[in-house]
Amino acid sequence: MSEPCDLGLVEAADAVARREVTSAALLESCLARLDAVNPKINAAIWVDREGARAAAAAADAALASGTRASGTRANGTQAGGALAGKLFGVPLAHKDMYYQAGKPCTCGSAIRRDFVPDYTCTVVERLGAAGAYSFAGLNMAEFAQNPTGHNRAFGHCHNPWGLDHITGGSSSGSGALVASGGTFASLGSDTGGSIRLPASACGVTGIKPTQTRVSRYGVMPLSFSADNVGPLARSARDCARVLSVIAGHDPRDPTSAANPVPDYEAALDGDLRGQRIGVPTNAFVLGADPAVLAAFEAALAVLAARGASIVRLELPLMPAIAAYGGVVSRVEGATIHARWMRERPQDYAVHLSGRMYPGFAVPGTYYVEALARRGPILKAFAAEVFAKVDLLATPTIPTALPTLAETDIDAAEASGPAETIARFLAVSVNTRPFNYLGLPAVSLPCGFDGNGLPVGLQLAGRPFAEARVLKVADGYQRETDWHRRKPAGI
Amino acid sequence: MSFLAETEAMIAAWHGIAPPNAAARVMAADLVATIRAFEAVRGQMRFEDEPASFEAALQETKE
Repeated sequence: MSEPCDLGLVEAADAVARREVTSAALLESCLARLDAVNPKINAAIWVDREGARAAAAAADAALASGTRASGTRANGTQAGGALAGKLFGVPLAHKDMYYQAGKPCTCGSAIRRDFVPDYTCTVVERLGAAGAYSFAGLNMAEFAQNPTGHNRAFGHCHNPWGLDHITGGSSSGSGALVASGGTFASLGSDTGGSIRLPASACGVTGIKPTQTRVSRYGVMPLSFSADNVGPLARSARDCARVLSVIAGHDPRDPTSAANPVPDYEAALDGDLRGQRIGVPTNAFVLGADPAVLAAFEAALAVLAARGASIVRLELPLMPAIAAYGGVVSRVEGATIHARWMRERPQDYAVHLSGRMYPGFAVPGTYYVEALARRGPILKAFAAEVFAKVDLLATPTIPTALPTLAETDIDAAEASGPAETIARFLAVSVNTRPFNYLGLPAVSLPCGFDGNGLPVGLQLAGRPFAEARVLKVADGYQRETDWHRRKPAGI
Repeated sequence: MSFLAETEAMIAAWHGIAPPNAAARVMAADLVATIRAFEAVRGQMRFEDEPASFEAALQETKE
């Protein structure tokens, strides 16, 4: 039977606004689902029931008294601006790396197990100004640094579609709990695929915005050049609503862009006529799993049937993008963690300390070269590719989804981890290039692999083309029901 | 001295960090692949010596 927590985010927010459901009912439904599934999937690290119930009660009281129209936040304080109310009364749970004053923020690590920030990040403030409130901190890769969802400190996150399989990472709890119905949406972060990978593996929709599109103030850093904040939710429309709330310049994050934020939802008109979808022939699909490729080609056929044109093309500069992209986040991650790597390396998982260690040996000249060429490579790539197509389409994860055991570097440590490392790194091969290029990219469900695990379709566009990316994703979801399917058996 | 041994010595000297586990050694040894990748693209780009700004490129190539 469908419960309130099974609504989409937009449906839930609109239902609250129409007073068809209370915020408290949404929250209790989410908490009940969380309690039912969390023993199996381990998606939540902490839950703030008392605080969330107070926020829900304040939201319902504000609705009852008619003060919502003036922009009353769910916590009872006043919020101004046109965004007030877009998410009014909606409970949300986020990856546990978003600073919220007085709440735990473990960053998925034993090192920060007891960390409680004294200020709140911009994106959670903006969600609050739109009327949403937080009720849980979700499991994640330790310090957001793996593509699988392994976590030694708080336990591995498990895929609700197949508990032995990876959720994708690093926003593992976000993907798993959105898929399970325990939250309507969740903020993830994406430095090499960490929103798109769990979106793909868990059968939900997630968008990595253009680099600089969303503020990172108060968000645990991994790589200042490549970190991005974005939502995972059950549809492109749900992602559009969250992105409309969180995007835009933030004076506290000087790297955030001043470009105006369009109404992403307004762009979702279902009309895909004239959209040129590029399909790479020299990367992204080579060696892909046959079942993944079949789902991908079927998705392209759906887009074509709705009026898009499919253009097969060779992408330029891919070796340079791979070489330089691998250096930037590796060096920046090592730099951020140098002190703890020196003083308490035993408190990191093997796969994390092992992966960061080589970052200390990359020459400064390589790092500067990789950064210096990022702009010119983007310009050359965009000039050649986006003259021919509007978007690029690829499978998000080209392989059949591996199991936790097959990619567990820590468990393989004693027997020699080289083969396991290769499988581990292969998970993010299709997402990393768009981080170096800084392009917006969405992953949305488009079928299942041979083991019944979700397959993701990745769509990437020009810088600041989030509206087009989401429009095409939404157009696809109007024609298909992959995003509405729910994992059974949990 | 092998590449891996040189790399470990350099990291120890410059950062005071020892290889924490076997996985670290495997991935440090794989820096050879990073070197090969840089070598493969060396000299292929016309903008070799030009100043550049990634943020400006995002704006220049935007939708």
